[in-house]
Amino acid sequence: MLFYDETIHVGSSLSSIEILTTLLFRYIREGKDPINKDWLILSKGHAAPALYALLVEKGYISEDELWKIQDISSILQGHPEIYIPGVDMSTGSLGQGLSFGVGIAQGIKMKGGSGRVFVIMGDGEQDEGEVWEAMTHAVARKLNNLIALIEMNGFQLDGATSEIKPKEFLPNVWREVGWEVLSCDGHDFVSLINTIDEALKAKAPVAIFAKTVRGKGLKAIENTANQRVGLNDARKFLIDA
Amino acid sequence: MMQGNSLSMRETFGKLLVELGKINKDLVVITADVGSSTKAIYFKEAFPDRYFNVGISEQHMVNFAAGLATVGFKPLVVSFAMFLMRAWEQIRNSVARMNLDVKFAATHAGFSDSGDGSSHQALEDIALMRTIPNMKVIVPADSADIKRTLPVVINELKGPLYYRIGRDYTPTITEGLDYDFKLGKGYVLRDGEDLAIMGAGVVLYDALRAAEELEKMGISAAVINLLSIKPIDEDLIEYYARRTGRIITIEEHSIYGGIGSAVAEVVVKRYPVPMRFIGTTTFGRSARSQRDLLDFYGINSKSIINAALELVK
Repeated sequence: MLFYDETIHVGSSLSSIEILTTLLFRYIREGKDPINKDWLILSKGHAAPALYALLVEKGYISEDELWKIQDISSILQGHPEIYIPGVDMSTGSLGQGLSFGVGIAQGIKMKGGSGRVFVIMGDGEQDEGEVWEAMTHAVARKLNNLIALIEMNGFQLDGATSEIKPKEFLPNVWREVGWEVLSCDGHDFVSLINTIDEALKAKAPVAIFAKTVRGKGLKAIENTANQRVGLNDARKFLIDA
Repeated sequence: MMQGNSLSMRETFGKLLVELGKINKDLVVITADVGSSTKAIYFKEAFPDRYFNVGISEQHMVNFAAGLATVGFKPLVVSFAMFLMRAWEQIRNSVARMNLDVKFAATHAGFSDSGDGSSHQALEDIALMRTIPNMKVIVPADSADIKRTLPVVINELKGPLYYRIGRDYTPTITEGLDYDFKLGKGYVLRDGEDLAIMGAGVVLYDALRAAEELEKMGISAAVINLLSIKPIDEDLIEYYARRTGRIITIEEHSIYGGIGSAVAEVVVKRYPVPMRFIGTTTFGRSARSQRDLLDFYGINSKSIINAALELVK
């Protein structure tokens, strides 16, 4: 029987899925040595279902487990935990992933490692003051082994980002602070690859503003603040896909 | 007031940190622009590459330290106790949840930042830290206690740990006493049979003075230095509950959720006896000295004596 949890964050997961796929299957160098592997920090932890689906594809977790997401018997939590194989940071509270990434990138540099740090954030997450604390420090420390991907899907928990706090200024602010700022289509693999390739050549920390659509491809919730879909819509989506 | 000949707690802390940095090459110190006030600056002078001032950014400071711990460093976050509490959620959700080896040295705790007033006086920090899973809480009494505990904290103990110290007021309490620090162990500063005074930090000075006065009145009071608040020495607390039948706790902290509460949790489970709690129930205020504040809020030997007389009645 298909076990489906109607409370998972489908909208955000569909916003992140191509970005995560691109990073995990093209860029992330896995390994046990913390300074010579690449780090993937899903700071917008509510997109965990997308990450878990890819960790299944990577062989870290079984497909059976994926169907048990958020169940009392499952290792798969509503937000990432480091005890889940393949997860690099326990997240769920917004605004903390970039700081953690700055610490890792700094540590890798001090120890002479080759590891790179990728941090995925949301646009709503940019409301958090800690993001400012972290992004200014990353510039002060000249961390060119740090790449932040910021999904601009235009929605946060209570509605459209533009109605809650302005976000259009963000790329300019990051650039003025000293980040190299790039932009791309966060659902287009070619656009993502070209942009990340360019980011990897940078001499400064790089912020990639990726235009994405909340609930991409799932008509019932596409481009709305809605995160969740019922069983019937989910089934239809899977059959059509 | 007796100040002793030893250095202040923060001075002792800052100097010892340099010694520990010489042995421990992965020790890194992180502050949020309070290096001078906390004396972490000595570490910066000795090891500039292993010292980070992240700016006035306490939340980032905590997660930055977490990141450094993940790639093999031993980060010590040095902050005013009060402003570290601003990052409680980062400590809880990142450091403690991932059980990372990040230590927090919180200076200016209690009333020790007397002049700056209530905004700077951390009287809730032990409660806030004690409740976090994986977190250890250590409260040394004086400079001698720092010398006993800090090397163990840095070199031997793994995982999140909150280390609470004051500023300048450092009465001599444990100088010359012969004990080694062990996590989860309390220490008998003075034995007694009629009641036990338990606490941690500089207020133990008043506990000892009270015990001397009580002895003149024919009351024999034990004084226990609990310095390991979490884990706490349950056996020692039970032993003195059984032996004396009365317990008074004293702390430079709120009586809600602090050291007194930690002792009570053990007492009601192991061997219930009457208790009295000495500590704060309000915010602090400005004063010319920490001593004035301790007396103003009744966290002193007089309060202990009054509580003792009430209990032995």
